[in-house]
Amino acid sequence: MNALANIDYLSSLLQTLSTQNPGDFPKDLLPENNFPWLKQLRTQAIDQAGQFKWPTTRDEEWRFTDISPLSTLTFKPAQPGNSPALADVSPFFIEEANNRLVFVDGFFTPELSNVNHKNQLVVGNLAELATSHSDVIEHHLGQHFKSQKNLFSALNTAFLKDCAVIIAPQNTVITQPVHILYIATQAETTHYPRCLVVGQTNSQATVIEDYIALQKPANSSYITNSVAEFSLAANAQIRHFRIQRENSSAFHLANCAVSLDYASRYQAVSVTLGASISRYNLDIGLRAEAAECIIDGLALISSDQLADTHTCIDHLQPNCVSHQQHKCIADEGAHAVFNGKIIVRPDAQRTDSSQSSRNLLLSNQAKIDAKPQLEIFADDVKCAHGATVGQLDNEEIFYLKSRGIPELTARNLLTYAFGAEILNRISIASLKHTLEQIVLNQTQHH
Amino acid sequence: MSAALQNLVNQPYKHGFVTDIESEIAPKGLNEDTIRLISSKKNEPEWLLDFRLNAYRKWLTMSEPDWQNVHYPKIDFQEISYYAAPKPKEKLASMDEVDPELLRTFEKLGVPMHERAALAGVAVDVVFDSVSVATTYKEKLSEVGIIFCSISEALQEYPELVKQYLGTVVPVGDNFFAALNSAVFTDGSFCFIPKGVKCPMDLSTYFRINTEGSGQFERTLVIAEEGASVSYLEGCTAPQFDTNQLHAAVVELVALDNADIKYSTVQNWYAGDENGVGGIFNFVTKRGLAKGVNSRISWTQVETGSAITWKYPSCILRGDNSVGEFYSVALTNNLQQADTGTKMIHLGKNTRSTIISKGISAGKSNSSYRGLVRVAPGAQNARNFSQCDSMLVGDKCGAHTFPYIQVNNNTAKVEHEASTSKIGEDQLFYFAQRGIDAEEAVSMIVNGFCKEVFQQLPMEFAVEATKLLSFKLEGSVG
Repeated sequence: MNALANIDYLSSLLQTLSTQNPGDFPKDLLPENNFPWLKQLRTQAIDQAGQFKWPTTRDEEWRFTDISPLSTLTFKPAQPGNSPALADVSPFFIEEANNRLVFVDGFFTPELSNVNHKNQLVVGNLAELATSHSDVIEHHLGQHFKSQKNLFSALNTAFLKDCAVIIAPQNTVITQPVHILYIATQAETTHYPRCLVVGQTNSQATVIEDYIALQKPANSSYITNSVAEFSLAANAQIRHFRIQRENSSAFHLANCAVSLDYASRYQAVSVTLGASISRYNLDIGLRAEAAECIIDGLALISSDQLADTHTCIDHLQPNCVSHQQHKCIADEGAHAVFNGKIIVRPDAQRTDSSQSSRNLLLSNQAKIDAKPQLEIFADDVKCAHGATVGQLDNEEIFYLKSRGIPELTARNLLTYAFGAEILNRISIASLKHTLEQIVLNQTQHH
Repeated sequence: MSAALQNLVNQPYKHGFVTDIESEIAPKGLNEDTIRLISSKKNEPEWLLDFRLNAYRKWLTMSEPDWQNVHYPKIDFQEISYYAAPKPKEKLASMDEVDPELLRTFEKLGVPMHERAALAGVAVDVVFDSVSVATTYKEKLSEVGIIFCSISEALQEYPELVKQYLGTVVPVGDNFFAALNSAVFTDGSFCFIPKGVKCPMDLSTYFRINTEGSGQFERTLVIAEEGASVSYLEGCTAPQFDTNQLHAAVVELVALDNADIKYSTVQNWYAGDENGVGGIFNFVTKRGLAKGVNSRISWTQVETGSAITWKYPSCILRGDNSVGEFYSVALTNNLQQADTGTKMIHLGKNTRSTIISKGISAGKSNSSYRGLVRVAPGAQNARNFSQCDSMLVGDKCGAHTFPYIQVNNNTAKVEHEASTSKIGEDQLFYFAQRGIDAEEAVSMIVNGFCKEVFQQLPMEFAVEATKLLSFKLEGSVG
């Protein structure tokens, strides 16, 4: 801890944790005495957080993403109790979702949420479900970060006060998505959203993770440090749509860990639009045979935004499949980073893996750093990756111009189409439509 | 993986003999006195001693790199002898004066050093341990104004020329091993192609580490003036020792306007035995500066030896319209580890680069491609194409790809692709059907896999490389 003394942000956080000053610290919704496992989890995380060094660009994992602006901040953890007006929040609701969990500054807000108890899905917040489903939660919560422990996921666990919990019981197929809406309202605070999704054997479910900001004063700065954990048992299928639309002064640091059992399937689309600096770590472990993951991502950024996506797909067992496509569109002075690692372990024969990273630079101030990475220890595998960086193809523009479309329109059209390919993977019509409108507006140059 | 195929990948090292020549070895260890000793032994100008001491002082402040994907016991830099010269070293006027024992060594290696052999059209500068022994074809080259000699000789005869370029591409403090080399380099080759001259033959250097417990720190400097062109070949071998030997070389290339340098390497240092005992630690810094407009630098390497290979031949494309190329085959077997690749730094307008890298891993070896393509803000219309293919022979080896792509200019077009494959039973069966045995089939598949790179090699080297790969991979079948 002494080594970190010069980092204001970290030391203030760790101090908050160690002093537990009631004024600084939100009321505990989960009395630790009732949940010894939770106490242990937090204690471990506090220890770990104290051992990590503050990441700098000298660390390979943070080489392209300079988070030093964060280190001078002394943002306190957000307090519960804020509740924005329904009218402000309702435009963000997704009509297809018959379950909605709203977390304001990381705290569950029942009056904005809509939990449907009719179907078999177990949906709720940790405080509510910790007793009734303690066995499942205890088994999974905080247990999927074995391979990717880092400072921010440790801090999230250390500050774990509440959490969205979704459990799809055995042999249930739920077609309607669950919408988890995280709203940041308090300026100059840090909040710790978290969710746990468990797909039990032969279950199917869809989860939308949605980050928005309703700040007063508008566009004030805050930090989101989020963690999501997905655990899929044999033959489970989970679809995960992740939308990050924080305000443009926000810092967004997110970790997501996915653990896949026999013949399970994880399909994800992540769309990054907001935040001044954002970092998303997605860590997928294909832990049993025939597991499959399909992950797609789009980062659409402009002005001086920085969006960093780090993914790691770990093939631990034979006959697994992974496909990934990630696209970045960087306009003005934006900086997009993509680091995609695929590991094929010695036993993971007959792995089929593909990865594509495509990047579009719209301005001469924009910047892309891409690092697709393969680490292969098995010989009977099919692995390919590709990366491209460039601007719009002149021939494509010419093709459209030859059909009477003005150059500017042609450019806008092609830029939109570049991003829309990823949005097409979103199976929820209203969400897809909303995002298409956002991408359309952001890619229009006049 | 069939047993037959497993057997194919094991082959004893054919260059593992020790030449029994009395050699003059400096005491082990490194300090400023060692450097002064090297400098005075070589009768060097004062500025070079300063260059060395400056490098040494920088080196002391640096730490060994640890980011590479290789593992090796810590090198004790005080346990290395930094100077080993074959003893009977006098000025040699003709080939007949060369120590017959030495000549036999090179004959065994198949170096065409004799005048007769040199009819093949290759001028050879031979570096034995750290000292250049003989250079063939010097006269013929000097007729057109080409200087091709050992760097020690160049320091005596053309000190101003060396001073002008030495350390301009790889600065003394560039990295840990380059700094070490700058402090203690003992010999190497120097090549200067004057304005407008197309070098009439391929130039070649042959490196050999002979003395146990010595390190080889050679320094190569190739300069092509405006409109000049040269093709330069480098070959390396070392005898078998149970100890690890350090090889930390620096190669600098400078291409001025419209100049063209093609640098080809076949590296077959001793790789250690099948248990990973012994072998060369190869930590090499190679960099070319395409300084002038329309200049071109092309690296071709066939890496089959060394216990550890750490090598990233790079191109700095500063001149507008300059071209950088990197063609590489890296074969690792047993417990060899290779972390190799390239850097293409695009600074000038309309610069183009091509990277073709083929990695073949067999046994328990690991091979990594690590590459960087950087497009600076001013590099309008820069273009890069990279292709990295890996082939795995057996299920105990590993192949890794670490490409870094950094683009700061929206007119750039950068493409990278990578794939992994293996030699399948069905492929071998296909060959067997046509009466081709497994051994030859493997050789043909591997050679086909590497074809794009071998095509870049000069004729003699292509033949050698093909043979080398075959016998590295071949063995007794069944």
